[in-house]
Amino acid sequence: MKVLVVDDFATMRKIVKNVLKQINIENVVEAENGKHALNVLNSEEIDLIISDWMMPEMTGIEFLKVCKEDDEKKKIPFIMVTAEGQKGSVMEAIKSGVDNYIVKPFTPDKLKDAIDRARTRAGK
Amino acid sequence: MEVKYINPFINAAQTVFKTMLNIDAKMGKPILKNEKTTSGDISGIMGLAGDRKGTICISFHDKGALFVFKTLVGEECESINPEVVDSIGELTNIISGQARKEFEQTGLNLKAAIPMVVVGKNVEVNFITKIPIISLPFYFSINNGTQEIMYLDFSFE
Repeated sequence: MKVLVVDDFATMRKIVKNVLKQINIENVVEAENGKHALNVLNSEEIDLIISDWMMPEMTGIEFLKVCKEDDEKKKIPFIMVTAEGQKGSVMEAIKSGVDNYIVKPFTPDKLKDAIDRARTRAGK
Repeated sequence: MEVKYINPFINAAQTVFKTMLNIDAKMGKPILKNEKTTSGDISGIMGLAGDRKGTICISFHDKGALFVFKTLVGEECESINPEVVDSIGELTNIISGQARKEFEQTGLNLKAAIPMVVVGKNVEVNFITKIPIISLPFYFSINNGTQEIMYLDFSFE
């Protein structure tokens, strides 16, 4: 499985990669915002997206909306990462078609569970 | 200060240590600080606003910060560098987020600013309150079994 990790913070991308490694997912590509992530999606085959919420240029929710309006990209399971469990933000993501969300802090088991649920929801 | 304002910070620190680092951090005796300075060598500082206002400062000694970086990111680092600084900033962000979630459950809504990280001992911090500042020490073991401390210093009003 090839995972696209989107976060403007390089260290956070490394943290997520390290957690993914602990659940045996090592095929990871990175993007620093939604705009960059769209370029990656246009050039590589991606099986799962894990995206941060707050990012410059194109935020996570903007990126999610673009993906879910595209016939091909909308098939890719999309997990949103947020630092706080704010109901309003989560509701907006759900309305926009997010396949799952995960609130920091998270354990490898919690991330694995979020991935499994997102893939099931997306029919993968 | 009422216990209900302290417990969310304790729970947040221990939850984040357990989930992100797989470490059971043991809290020591809280200290009242009369100096508005950082407690360790590298510190993440974050302002809080909303129903209450305050400041939290997450502080480590060098060895503790390097261990946290290695555990979080999975890479060894010999000395404090920009990546280690960023990881302490992110940890501060996550602990603050968890604390805000804990406060939300008690009916208090708080917002946070972007964390700032300072490197150096006894750096003056503009804690948004009158002194004393509450300093919570959390003990954890690193690779060779030695004890390290994370200080969670905060002011809240």
